[in-house]
Amino acid sequence: MSERDVVTVRGLRKSYGGRVVVDGLDLAVSAGEIVGLIGANGAGKTTTVECVQGLRKPDAGQLRVLGYDPVTQAGELRPLIGSQLQDSALPDRLRVAEAVELFGTPRARDGGELLSRFGLAPRRRSAFGSLSGGERQRLFLVLALLNRPRLVILDELTQGLDPAARRGVWAAVRQLHDEGATVLLVTHEMDEAEALCGRVVVMRAGRVLDAGAPADLVDRHAGTATIRFSMPDPPAPLLDQVRRLDGVRAVERAGARITVRGHRRIIAYVGAALVRWEPVPADLSVHVPSLEDALLGLLEERPATGTPAAAEMNLAGGQR
Amino acid sequence: MNTAIGKLVRAELTLMTRDPLVLTFVFAFPIVTMLIIGGAFGTRPDRGFDNANPAHWYVASYLTVVIAATGLVMLPVHLASYRERGVLRRFAAAGFPRWSFATAQLIVGLLTTAVAGALLLAVAAPVYGIPAVHDPWRVAAALPLGAIAFVSIGVLLGSLLPSARAAQAVGLLLFFPSFLLGAGGPPPHVMGSVVRKVADPLPLTLLTNAVREPWLGLGPATGSLLAVAAMAVVALVLAARRTAL
Repeated sequence: MSERDVVTVRGLRKSYGGRVVVDGLDLAVSAGEIVGLIGANGAGKTTTVECVQGLRKPDAGQLRVLGYDPVTQAGELRPLIGSQLQDSALPDRLRVAEAVELFGTPRARDGGELLSRFGLAPRRRSAFGSLSGGERQRLFLVLALLNRPRLVILDELTQGLDPAARRGVWAAVRQLHDEGATVLLVTHEMDEAEALCGRVVVMRAGRVLDAGAPADLVDRHAGTATIRFSMPDPPAPLLDQVRRLDGVRAVERAGARITVRGHRRIIAYVGAALVRWEPVPADLSVHVPSLEDALLGLLEERPATGTPAAAEMNLAGGQR
Repeated sequence: MNTAIGKLVRAELTLMTRDPLVLTFVFAFPIVTMLIIGGAFGTRPDRGFDNANPAHWYVASYLTVVIAATGLVMLPVHLASYRERGVLRRFAAAGFPRWSFATAQLIVGLLTTAVAGALLLAVAAPVYGIPAVHDPWRVAAALPLGAIAFVSIGVLLGSLLPSARAAQAVGLLLFFPSFLLGAGGPPPHVMGSVVRKVADPLPLTLLTNAVREPWLGLGPATGSLLAVAAMAVVALVLAARRTAL
């Protein structure tokens, strides 16, 4: 373990009542990284970070977090971690400023400054129970950052937030990163992982399927871009030219509708070709592969093996 | 005092003053029912009350109602609600030791019984008068031992029951029969022999006897006092084990 290793997990296993939730997981997070754990409900993401924080005792495996063993040294470790937990709350009648006071330690930052930064200064005297979902999440972020943590763990950070509130929270996480914090982010929102994480770890049934930068995962598992346009009577030379373009894998024609698939660079080449054959189709559309496409591609490449946790994997219908 | 516990106690005491359940059930309910039932039986010494002034009988009894309301209703509902909503996980993740919250609840519970008991006596004083304490040492032993027993039972119930609603149902089911049979209900002489047999071994009956008898000079109630002491030890040990105290 080097000085830059913040989290090192080897062979982590955790079961609940005979149901394996984390199955031999390896994970490493270095200082200054934002690493995302992605996968659908039941993939074992939350259990993994709970073990990292020392909130759950693993059945097997070796964990080292900031140089401490989370099982035997949780008391020393937890004050060094700032966390926003899934499905947790504060007492309804506790006021915002009181929460900052309660959770602050002697090494805490200026709570008032943090509340201002996250737009909560006007709500200092408001009870937790009266805050909106976005305000609660921002307060959890304030509390997570309050004691100058060396590692920040954020679990389903933007669950239930409206788009504007999500963007606000994302900006706060980027700011964290700019300040040098190490962040372990649990999410099943692919756009969130793509927007925030330098590296993502794809989990299914308690195991790591693949890991890497979001762009690399997209290249590996969803490299195909799709361009669609209509041309009632397309000139044969145009279609021949498109088929020969570098990176084009398939050109399909169904009546007037033409679909071109290939590497992302075909977007530029096909666009250039269409411009030469004026007029450019009015219904031209482009689908750029995303991390979600990569995840779906990855799952298709490696079908589930029928484990109970794998059977629960349902990206489209996963509970929010 | 440990900083974590000190902060939790301060926060919990503040929150308690904003909690309508605590304010009504622990502070208002015993006072109101004491005033009603004390007035119903009058203030002339009565054979049914071992020749004691009935109003004084109830003033001496209702301190234990405060203790039971705290231990059987307030604490279980409060703790179960915190666990159900993930508040306890948040405290644990923030570095508060596992035992700190239960210890804080024990302290808050004991302080609550002391304040609510003092308030009850302050209201009783101008209305019925506060009876002279015949055996202050036994009363002084029984009240804190009873408070420790019931507050520990409350922490234990709160750590075992799965939800706030379950805690409320179980707490009220334990509280009201105990209240009616062992402390604030009709005097024992109007109860049938079967009902008295049920009432006598109830923890609240034992505690009320251990407080009321030496207070009003009706007897030492040594057996009840020893039983209350045993309850306090057992409940405290069980609560401590359960909450990794």
